[in-house]
Amino acid sequence: MGMRPGKDVRVTLLAILIAVCSPGGLAHAATPGEHAGHAGQAQRADQLEHVEPGGHVDQAGHADQPEHVDQTGHAEHPPELPNLIHLLYKALGGEAADTAPPAWIVLCYRFQDVFYALLVALIIIVIVRWGTRRMEQIPGPVQNVVEFFIEGFHSFILGILGPGGERYVPFLGTLFLYIWFMNLFGLVPLMKSPTAGLNTTAALAISVFLYVQWTGMRHLGPIRYVKHLAGDPQDVVGWCMVPLMLPLHVISELAKPVSLALRLFGNILGEDVLIGVFAGLGIAVLAFVHSPVGVPLHLPFILLALLMSTVQALVFTLLSAIYIMQMLPHDEVGRETDAVAAAAVDGARTAGTDLTLSGSHTSLGGR
Amino acid sequence: MEAATALGFALPIGLGLAALGSGLGLGRAISAAMEAMGRQPEAADKIQVAMIIGAAFIEALTIYAFVSVFVLSAKI
Repeated sequence: MGMRPGKDVRVTLLAILIAVCSPGGLAHAATPGEHAGHAGQAQRADQLEHVEPGGHVDQAGHADQPEHVDQTGHAEHPPELPNLIHLLYKALGGEAADTAPPAWIVLCYRFQDVFYALLVALIIIVIVRWGTRRMEQIPGPVQNVVEFFIEGFHSFILGILGPGGERYVPFLGTLFLYIWFMNLFGLVPLMKSPTAGLNTTAALAISVFLYVQWTGMRHLGPIRYVKHLAGDPQDVVGWCMVPLMLPLHVISELAKPVSLALRLFGNILGEDVLIGVFAGLGIAVLAFVHSPVGVPLHLPFILLALLMSTVQALVFTLLSAIYIMQMLPHDEVGRETDAVAAAAVDGARTAGTDLTLSGSHTSLGGR
Repeated sequence: MEAATALGFALPIGLGLAALGSGLGLGRAISAAMEAMGRQPEAADKIQVAMIIGAAFIEALTIYAFVSVFVLSAKI
């Protein structure tokens, strides 16, 4: 792979930095209930009176203790499987009315998405370092897996962006790996998907947005960039449409990160909640015999979640690649991909059958 | 009708309607993609990528409804 390591590392670090730094602040401003939950015991006791007993029960295990429904901050959260930090927080008295938990666990609990995101980043770094520590001509198992993955992703991205897309492979590959691992992390017992929080996905989407705009500026130059946003006016009609097209394009550019973030967040939260609800149901159906274990009703949804995690990571990466592609100069990219497609058709040598890879799928309509 | 009661009725029905629309859209999109792949297996990779992107856009509409249901379900 002829990639320059210095640049890759910088882009990757930037992405991870943005992803890790921006969660936290945004979100906790958006959920005032959580602040109230940690503010103090006096407030908590105050809120206790306003909560109807049995109003919102978080897990099946809580059902027999109606006095513990004091988690006004939690009542807004959908049911999810408990994770390590949540359990520690609970064990250290974070949810009882009369004890104050230690400061470090409160911090960890509030920033649990950041904690798990960092953990995932650490795991990826360790795996890749392990795979590339001693590079050999005949690769060992870990190096083999890493190389297989990188080569596959390289050809996948080049298939979309065309030749010249090599420089975007590190960023997009990091994005895919990071999101994929974060999605799958929720299926590990005692862990949580950081992408099931809006902060993490918003941070990723914002970093993609900034990268795409920067790419556009760098490739087009400031003047052509603004012209591109105005819809590339060519003639008088085009220039007359500029007052309409410019706000339209600006709004659509701003809508891209919102839709990216919400899509990933909604899908991963949805699958985690689904697993949480069915795990709770599995415990609830055996609750009347006081069984220590439940029925694993959530098993099929774990398989579904495996599939969805991969697909959503792929979709996020694919859409980022397409946003980058839209920012690149149209004429150059178009000519290059056409040339490649023509070469592919020549190389295929399919006499008799009309193999139309060059984009004219419409010829099939007449059959 | 109280606001909470109205929300309690409206949220599941709204989510169901959004899912219905997405389901119809996904059905059309994927059947067309399958047909295209069947006619032209050589281009299956390209069609599949385009199909996944399209499916993501269609599915996003249901996800927006799902997110707003979660946001609003705190008010019930």
